[in-house]
Amino acid sequence: MVGAMHAGSVAWLFAVSISASALGGALGMASGVFIVPVLTMFGGLDIHAAVAASIVSVIACSCGSAAPFLKSGLTNIRVAIVLEVATTLGALTGVLLTGTLSVPFLYFLFAAVLLVSASQMMARQREILGETDVTNPRDWATVLRLHSSYPDLALGRDVFYRVRRVPLGLALMYGAGLISALLGIGSGVLKIPAMDTALHLPIKVSSATSNFMIGVTAAASGVAYFARGDIDPVIAGPVALGSVLGALLGARFLMAVSGNKLRLFFVAVLVALAAQMLLSALGIRLTGHAA
Amino acid sequence: MSTDLARRPGLDQLLAKVLHRGTWLGSSVIALGLALPMAGWSGDSSAIICTRIVTAGIALLIILPVLRVFLMLIVFVRERDFRFSAIAMLVLAIMLLGSALSAP
Repeated sequence: MVGAMHAGSVAWLFAVSISASALGGALGMASGVFIVPVLTMFGGLDIHAAVAASIVSVIACSCGSAAPFLKSGLTNIRVAIVLEVATTLGALTGVLLTGTLSVPFLYFLFAAVLLVSASQMMARQREILGETDVTNPRDWATVLRLHSSYPDLALGRDVFYRVRRVPLGLALMYGAGLISALLGIGSGVLKIPAMDTALHLPIKVSSATSNFMIGVTAAASGVAYFARGDIDPVIAGPVALGSVLGALLGARFLMAVSGNKLRLFFVAVLVALAAQMLLSALGIRLTGHAA
Repeated sequence: MSTDLARRPGLDQLLAKVLHRGTWLGSSVIALGLALPMAGWSGDSSAIICTRIVTAGIALLIILPVLRVFLMLIVFVRERDFRFSAIAMLVLAIMLLGSALSAP
């Protein structure tokens, strides 16, 4: 698999990434969560190599999809930069930890994240509208001027929102950054609920802002993996390119297909991948190559 | 009240443009490096050159978020928003520290 630039393996990696990313994009999910399991289980790659390759595609997808959110005024860039202090610190910790953690532990962690994603996908129907309760004028969000508004097309007006519990948000983001670096995923599945429950951001704002932050979080570990020479261009190149194109396709697909059946299909895929990862953690392999 | 709002359309547009174009540029460079061998270009050093082109594209993609934070830093400094300048600088420092600590 690894080694000389093989037209066959480039095409295979490209095809896998484009489909994972298109499927993920169709439900507003990052592809990283699919790329790593596919590369390790079907491509026979070592998990560290898969993580390093995946982190590049996570950066590319975040940057490539940021523009429409920014233009529509949904991304709160002040909240993003404040939380990025915590996500990048978490990512840095993750990079320093990677060598010390055992491979089965990483598989376990990955399985857990997949299960969290599955349960969140089931629950993603709820929508919180901006609340206008009074907050303490001396709290972090007020001091840092994080409160904002976004234009809601459905309501036809601007919705104001207040940001709350920034310290709790920072703590959760540190964890999200750590997981992102360890597993090579964007960990939007962890960022969005953190913003939802801690900061009380409207769901559209948290998705846009999380997506925006993913690039910087992933780049914090990406820069380190790159400097360390962990990123194999023969793998990361086709994976990144496939993911960017897949995300573009996925966004179209999202317009064309209605959610619920796709959502159930996805939950099934996530649970199946989680089961596979758990088996890998326990040293049992059903497919692919021997560990 | 409106002075409390975090929205700043000018910066949003700038970042949108940079991220969009940067992603296309990085992806195109990777595509070029991958397509050359498939298009039949071969020779003694072609494989090495193609791998280097792909690596350059990957480096562009990884640098893009660093550039994004740097641009935000410049805008915050110009607006004399020193608190956020310091925050942006801290994020940049953490990102670069990672590479300094991991370089072989």
